[in-house]
Amino acid sequence: MVGIPLAIFYYLYLACVVGFLLFTFFNVYHIIRFGFLTVGSISMIVCYLGGSIAIIAVSWFYINVIDWGQVIPFTIMGTFPQ
Amino acid sequence: MLAFYIPHRKEGETLVMLLRRHPFVIVTKLAFWVVVAVAPVVFYFLAKDATPFVFNNSVVYPIVVLFTSVYYLYLWLFAFHSFVDYYLDVWIVTNYRIINIEQRGLFSRTVSEQELDRIQDVTSELKGFFSTMLDFGTVYIQTAGEQVRFVFKQIPDPYGVSREITKLAEQRRQAHQETEQKIPTQPPAQS
Repeated sequence: MVGIPLAIFYYLYLACVVGFLLFTFFNVYHIIRFGFLTVGSISMIVCYLGGSIAIIAVSWFYINVIDWGQVIPFTIMGTFPQ
Repeated sequence: MLAFYIPHRKEGETLVMLLRRHPFVIVTKLAFWVVVAVAPVVFYFLAKDATPFVFNNSVVYPIVVLFTSVYYLYLWLFAFHSFVDYYLDVWIVTNYRIINIEQRGLFSRTVSEQELDRIQDVTSELKGFFSTMLDFGTVYIQTAGEQVRFVFKQIPDPYGVSREITKLAEQRRQAHQETEQKIPTQPPAQS
């Protein structure tokens, strides 16, 4: 079947996750380097990292069961209900 | 702890005030991100009956999952960045000087300072409904010379802060004058 491999979107997603991790690093670095390490700031960092892990874990739960070997046929629009 | 708060701390220098924007500012920003987070959930419940093919189609569904994941990851990142931006904008008042630390984005940071005895004029401003009700506003500090004036943005109790800075500046000037008077003048050289 001629079409776009679904895995392309998966790799694009991984690139977005790498970007997310990069900016997460910069943000946390700024708070540690230039901020004042108080209970409040440490709590915020822990809360943020916990939330990030939760989002990635939930995403992985859904992404893991998808068959990424599929191909999106160019005629996909024909499969949508009119 | 004190040395950590004051960059390049001088001898005898003590922290008088450590100011950040009013908490209302960060609460407003975070409330915006909460709305942005809830909007797709509302849309899902409104549109799930109208667009069942999105969740049943083996090709569209994976893309929706990936998009949703990226959406919430970056939303979480932007919300945290709002907090970082709020947290790293700090105005420090010591018994010797004022220090203005401003984070502009991730890769730009401005730190400026001025001696208290160089302060010429302190103006506080409360503008707007929430500013008036919650008592937060802006304090403008004009210093001697052609220096750019210091601006303490959206800080709590701007009147109190401006009064305190004026008082500290006056004390500093007096101390400066007393020090100058104590220095013995040299007798004129005899010819």
